[in-house]
Amino acid sequence: MSKFDERIKRELEEKTDADVHELKEDIWNEINKELFEGRRTKMKHKKRWVPAVFIAAAALVLAFTLQTDPGLALIKSIKDMFAPEKEIIQSIEGQDEPTEVHLNEGRNSEYIIYVDESRYKMIKGEDADVITTIEPLPEKYPEVSMEIRQYPSNKPEALVKEIEEELKIDFPDLRDVETVSEPVEGFWLHGLTEVTWDGKVIDVYVISNGKDGSFVITKKYFLEAAEGHGARFSHMLKSFEIIE
Amino acid sequence: MQQEKWVRKIRAGDQAAFREFYEAYAGAAIRTACAITNNREMAKDAVQETFIRVYRQIDSFNQELPFDPWFYRILTNECLRLLKRESPLSTIESVLNDPSLAEESFDQLTDLYDSIQALDDHNRIPLILKYIKGFSEKEIADILELNLNTVKSRLFKGRMRLREQLEPTRKEDKS
Repeated sequence: MSKFDERIKRELEEKTDADVHELKEDIWNEINKELFEGRRTKMKHKKRWVPAVFIAAAALVLAFTLQTDPGLALIKSIKDMFAPEKEIIQSIEGQDEPTEVHLNEGRNSEYIIYVDESRYKMIKGEDADVITTIEPLPEKYPEVSMEIRQYPSNKPEALVKEIEEELKIDFPDLRDVETVSEPVEGFWLHGLTEVTWDGKVIDVYVISNGKDGSFVITKKYFLEAAEGHGARFSHMLKSFEIIE
Repeated sequence: MQQEKWVRKIRAGDQAAFREFYEAYAGAAIRTACAITNNREMAKDAVQETFIRVYRQIDSFNQELPFDPWFYRILTNECLRLLKRESPLSTIESVLNDPSLAEESFDQLTDLYDSIQALDDHNRIPLILKYIKGFSEKEIADILELNLNTVKSRLFKGRMRLREQLEPTRKEDKS
């Protein structure tokens, strides 16, 4: 997009900003009256966030992989197998956006994922890896991140039920578990704290690790960012591949 | 993918999913309607009616086709319908094809937004769809039910007119 195009785009956005802020809620109220008046609306209770306690046996099982020769050989073979970077076309807010993505290996080379490193960074942790914005978002925004964690001895069918119960504490209107084939193939949980621009959204995908365990991928963002960060995370997640 | 899930849920009457869909789509829809109608009250009515129609007529959406052009065709038609109601002598066809009455004053405009609003409607509306929502020429052609070459020509002329207005020393778009 040329500077002139950007200027037109910016001008249209700036000149309609106030309209969005002043009309959005009013319009919803009118729609609500027209379509749903009289229907009982579920009240959402703000509840204290209780940290989820999940099993972290993966760390113990695989912690020493990198210390071994086979572990180092595995890393080399991964680099041979996948292009270090590639360009993908992602549809963001209706616009096709060419994006260069870079190969990242998960902890202990358990998986690979291509990350849009112009916007996000991957932080490798003891138990899980987290992809998040390069610069922290201002305080008013809820967390934006995508965590990838392996549970080597928990099968997806059982694990998804456990996670569902945990999530219901903070997301009382959590949707029923669905089976999806995109961005990954497995179980999908979706929750939203409240329907406001900054309502916290969570998407959890529970997929088989190809053996007796699971990978759990947790996307956190906020409602207004559904078509931004939410969509970008999904595009990155489509490149997720387990290394066996 | 998210749209597919919303469509499926809305079809099933899921009110919460519809609200999520509204939150995700309302911003760009309001911007588009305000820019097309250049009238806040009219834009409010157009957006409201569009979402109501989407909810009630979601079964008529063909899931084989992309969702956004369908949504914005409803929105654009609603904006044009309201504009037509305000000016009973004009028709939707004429809104999209007749030169704007603001032509004479165009050369005195310096503010970009005013310049956009002063363009002929048939150049202005494709530009609004392109720059607010980022639609491709093909999608704009689908939304406005116009020939692709017509859309290309109108976008080109609209941009050229704006550029001439704002950068009078440059004769060509070198971008």
